[in-house]
Amino acid sequence: MAEHVIDCLGEACPIPLMKVQKQMEQSAIGDVIIAQIDHSCAMKNIPEWARNNGHNVEIEEVDDGEWEIIIEKTN
Amino acid sequence: MKNFWDKISKNTYYKKIFKNPFTYVTGAVLLSLFQIAIFAVTGSPWGVSGVFANWGAWIYELFGGSVDKWHYFSSTGAQATLDNGILNHGGSWLNFGIIAGALFATLAASQFKLKKIKGVRQIVAATLGGLLMGYGARLAGGCNIGALFSSIASLSLSGWFFAIFLFVGAFIGSKLLAKFFM
Amino acid sequence: MPETTNTSATPIRRSSTPRKKKKSQLPIALIVLVLVIGVGIFLGLHNSTMALYWSFGCCFGFILQKSRFCFTASLRDPCITGSTSVTRAVLIAFAITTIGFTAIKYGSYITTGTIPGQSYVMPISLATALGGILFGIGMVIAGGCASGTLMRVGEGFTMQMLSLVFFIIGSLIGANHMGFWELNFNAVAPKIFLPDIFGWFGALVIQLLVILLLYIAADLYEKKKMGITDEE
Repeated sequence: MAEHVIDCLGEACPIPLMKVQKQMEQSAIGDVIIAQIDHSCAMKNIPEWARNNGHNVEIEEVDDGEWEIIIEKTN
Repeated sequence: MKNFWDKISKNTYYKKIFKNPFTYVTGAVLLSLFQIAIFAVTGSPWGVSGVFANWGAWIYELFGGSVDKWHYFSSTGAQATLDNGILNHGGSWLNFGIIAGALFATLAASQFKLKKIKGVRQIVAATLGGLLMGYGARLAGGCNIGALFSSIASLSLSGWFFAIFLFVGAFIGSKLLAKFFM
Repeated sequence: MPETTNTSATPIRRSSTPRKKKKSQLPIALIVLVLVIGVGIFLGLHNSTMALYWSFGCCFGFILQKSRFCFTASLRDPCITGSTSVTRAVLIAFAITTIGFTAIKYGSYITTGTIPGQSYVMPISLATALGGILFGIGMVIAGGCASGTLMRVGEGFTMQMLSLVFFIIGSLIGANHMGFWELNFNAVAPKIFLPDIFGWFGALVIQLLVILLLYIAADLYEKKKMGITDEE
């Protein structure tokens, strides 16, 4: 049950999503991935992608224009 | 005063309109509505990238260059547009408006943040991407808005033709991105 | 206040430390709104058409940012993630505007005999094809097309400010070379206005059908990519 933090601050689409996908492939079931983003599009497309793939997702606005997307790998 | 802003921040309608993102479909419907409206009012659909060529020409002229002999700017219409200046150029104000509207939307959601460039990789991507888009848009006579959205809506086959090659480009771009820019 | 969308009973644990308290940007938003209106009034006094364009631009910018509507993503996401939600939204926009535009064009045609906006019926040539490919590569690498770049400049992306500068330079180079492309390719290329071939009604129906088929194809593609099967 590892926890991976991905720093995507300052990255534009679609890099944050691609980084999350890459990390997801390398992670085990039950792992938690935390993507730190400040791109308003990534705050929509990462959760959408993760939910479509059946993972648990939570979004938290941690600062003005900064979010943490917490994804639990379930499959 | 602080309480006042806090109160607004918790208001349901504020959240609906300014805080939470719209769905893609809501965006599609609203953009279409305004696209139709601008066409009805001005007789010309929405275009974005043609304006950049004019901006380039004005900046070039500031540095003492002249575009008068260029085929692209040779028509009387294009010359008149250049002579009238940016203050009388509708397309420029449309583009300035997009920046202002997006800035307001971000601030109203309390989500504005200046995002600094992160490393050489982003500089290369922005430079190369910008140049390719600029040149490509001129060749095709427009960007995703003019040559695609507005063309297709205008029942022009060129819009669909452009879309096919745009997709090819996006596919190549995705591969390049995964290989060099990640 | 976190936006909780977790479906499992137990919340996902997290180790991130709480940050500084957020400051409301609403006062600044209000100032920007006043400035936007101020510019509008100034333009209106000077040239009312400019004020009209300015208001349209602001609305486009607001909608683009709020909905994260992105023409780049509509073409890129199917390649990268297999997601077509933006693609389908773009197709919906195509369908709505097709109906609206056709109504305006046809209405003008039967009352005045002229059709507005025909400059957007562009030549189908090698230049269009090459332009599409170059533009497609550029927008994916730069992370936004023309409207997307402008929108992200407003959002505070320094990277897109840089790409806007080079977009302008690229446009100028393109404009410089346009004589060559115009004379050799576009001048002899066909410009096809669909109602000329299929008639007004035929063109409208065919285009809407094509959009519908593309919509269904995009939906099926996403389901296949994501491994979702209809529960029937």
